Amino acid sequence: MSALTFAATTVGYGPKPVVRDAIFTVGAGEFVGLVGPNGAGKSTLLRAVTGSADVISGDITLGDASALRMADRDRARVVGVVPQTPVPLFAFPARAFVEMGRNPHLSRLGSLGAADHRIVDEAMARTDTAHLAAEPVDELSGGDLQRLTLAQALAQQPRVLLLDEPTSHLDLNHALQVLDLVRSLADDGMAVLGVFHDLEIAARYADRIAIVADGRLRPPVPPVEALDASTIAEIFGVRAVVRTDPVTGTVGITPVLRDADLAGERTGETVGVVCGSGTGASFMRQLAKAGHGVFAGALNRGDVDHAVAEAIGAGRVDLPPFGEIGEADERTTREGYERSACVIVCETPFGRPNLPNLRAALGSGRPLVLIGQMAEARDFTGGQARQLWDEALSRGAERVDSESEALEALARRLGTEA
Amino acid sequence: MTPSPGRSRAALTLVGLAAALALAIVAGVAFGAVRIPPAEVIAAVSRALTGHGGGLADAVVVDLRLPRVLLAALVGASLALAGVLYQALFKNALADPYILGVSSGAGLGATLALAALGTSYAARAVGVPVGAFVGAALTMLLVVQLASRRGRLDPTSLLLAGIAVSYTLSALTSFVLVYDRETMTSVVFWMMGGLQNRSWQHVGMLALMFSAGAVVPALFHRELDLMLLGDERAGQLGVSVERFKLVMLASASLVVAGAVSVSGLIGFVGLMTPHMVRLVIGPRHRLLLPASVLAGAIVLVIADLLARVVLAPVEIPVGIVTALAGGPFFIWLLVRKEHRR
Repeated sequence: MSALTFAATTVGYGPKPVVRDAIFTVGAGEFVGLVGPNGAGKSTLLRAVTGSADVISGDITLGDASALRMADRDRARVVGVVPQTPVPLFAFPARAFVEMGRNPHLSRLGSLGAADHRIVDEAMARTDTAHLAAEPVDELSGGDLQRLTLAQALAQQPRVLLLDEPTSHLDLNHALQVLDLVRSLADDGMAVLGVFHDLEIAARYADRIAIVADGRLRPPVPPVEALDASTIAEIFGVRAVVRTDPVTGTVGITPVLRDADLAGERTGETVGVVCGSGTGASFMRQLAKAGHGVFAGALNRGDVDHAVAEAIGAGRVDLPPFGEIGEADERTTREGYERSACVIVCETPFGRPNLPNLRAALGSGRPLVLIGQMAEARDFTGGQARQLWDEALSRGAERVDSESEALEALARRLGTEA
Repeated sequence: MTPSPGRSRAALTLVGLAAALALAIVAGVAFGAVRIPPAEVIAAVSRALTGHGGGLADAVVVDLRLPRVLLAALVGASLALAGVLYQALFKNALADPYILGVSSGAGLGATLALAALGTSYAARAVGVPVGAFVGAALTMLLVVQLASRRGRLDPTSLLLAGIAVSYTLSALTSFVLVYDRETMTSVVFWMMGGLQNRSWQHVGMLALMFSAGAVVPALFHRELDLMLLGDERAGQLGVSVERFKLVMLASASLVVAGAVSVSGLIGFVGLMTPHMVRLVIGPRHRLLLPASVLAGAIVLVIADLLARVVLAPVEIPVGIVTALAGGPFFIWLLVRKEHRR
């Protein structure tokens, strides 16, 4: 049975809907992340569970009971919330602050018993706040306060935990500590629903991710499916390279450009780039940002340069991973370079599979700008790359030492200011 | 993990405050037009309690001085209790019954009741407190309504609305008094905040209203703590915020109405006392509530004592004494808050 269910729920403030017809569940032992642009209504969905935002239609259930019809006290025994850090104005000692989490469990005249104190002790130990017990909360840092607020929520012993940007005030170490803790709480059977701005953090810790945008919620799916490049472009207006992070094994996201950067006036001049293995990534990004169209040659899928070219919408010839550039590919590539105003050769290492890119550039007859030197370390072709390089120089190619010099040379040749 | 050190310190604080209150009461009875030695005060009270009272000196102590001093204590306790409640519910350190206009509302309600019912015994005994309660409760609702923007209560708006409403209602009260000269003479001095000519009946009535208003907050001290974290957080931790506020505001209105019914408008006790107590013992209401109640009683007993002796034999309304001390305190709080931003 799901611990938390949104059943075609429309939430908002007063009569004004913010998110319509949200349908999803969070099961016991599951960690679901909510991501989306600012103001899309992620927090509103969380706040609706505890009655701080209005449910306009539909229902929210906790187990088999409607959250909307539960007494506040009963609901507080089931749902714990870690809001974006509150700012207490009053000098409660930290331990008293955490003890407040026991409120829904205490009888009217009762006070905290031994069991309650044990629960509070454990909550403070797990959030690394035991040493703060005597400190007044109005003098603590935002990070300490955020962990104490989590401890307060844990003292409620909830079955469902709602997190709103739980790491926004935390340094890297404490952020990972808190998220590891939340992950282990989920593994122990708690249902967790968390709002995140950091997509990689969400992807790393959540089992499933739901995207909230344009007043709608896309039902949660595993991070790899939820956060592909086209979704990120569509939701956030950001062209990003999305890959599997080699360290964490989860989704790694490198933003390349904002749509707004590409929305400026194109100069009309397309620039050819010879690249591969990441040697052209930064350069292509700068070209796109400066308003140029780019033709990136033949690139293997899985290559960073391929991903960047795809992100900025550059012309290219797609090759399978580790595939060689065949004769037909080389012809198409040369045609691409022929349509370019100028071709820049990045500091790419050349081997037999990608040498045709350099040959196509030379064969296009367009003006060439060569970056760096053709050192031996770059040439895995037994001298063929060196030969093409020298030939280009003898035909009047310009050689520069850096990407910024290449941009200047390009501006000069195109008759525009750098 | 035992909470006993904190608990014994709390008990010590309360015992200390209670002892201080007892001393203040004895001093309050001892000083006056005729000075009575403290030992004689205690002797007279114990004679009265054991049924052996008599004589003029005993009558001064038991029938004149003691009810007045006890009334001062109860009024101070009531105003301090209301101050604690308002400050918790509104998360506003500057809230107090006088500044929020509740006292003026109670005053207008009481005046209207007097004007309508005449100065008969029934009017004074029942009409005044009931009128004061209705006035206080309606004023509170009005001020909260005025200060709310889309369901949020802006702290500055709350103070401005309270002060504006307070002036308007005071003006209305004056208007009623000018219109109805018969009521006027008996009311004017009372409105300035005075405790003269009060009897045991007043003590009994106020004790009743104070007890009725204090019992619910005492039971809900944990929720009052939670309210300091903000309405939303309090709700997340299990407080039914709207209903809770309504009950607490009703309690506060009740004790303010009681205080205003017997002593008119006395400002700043509800503001200053919880503040000073909070600085010493912290914000937890389990201790803050009883400590503020005791401290409020002490403050007003001493203020009343000063009112009687500073210009003796002329007596100053006690409201003037508290305003002289409280006005600067309020300004200090305002300035300090500005600097913190």
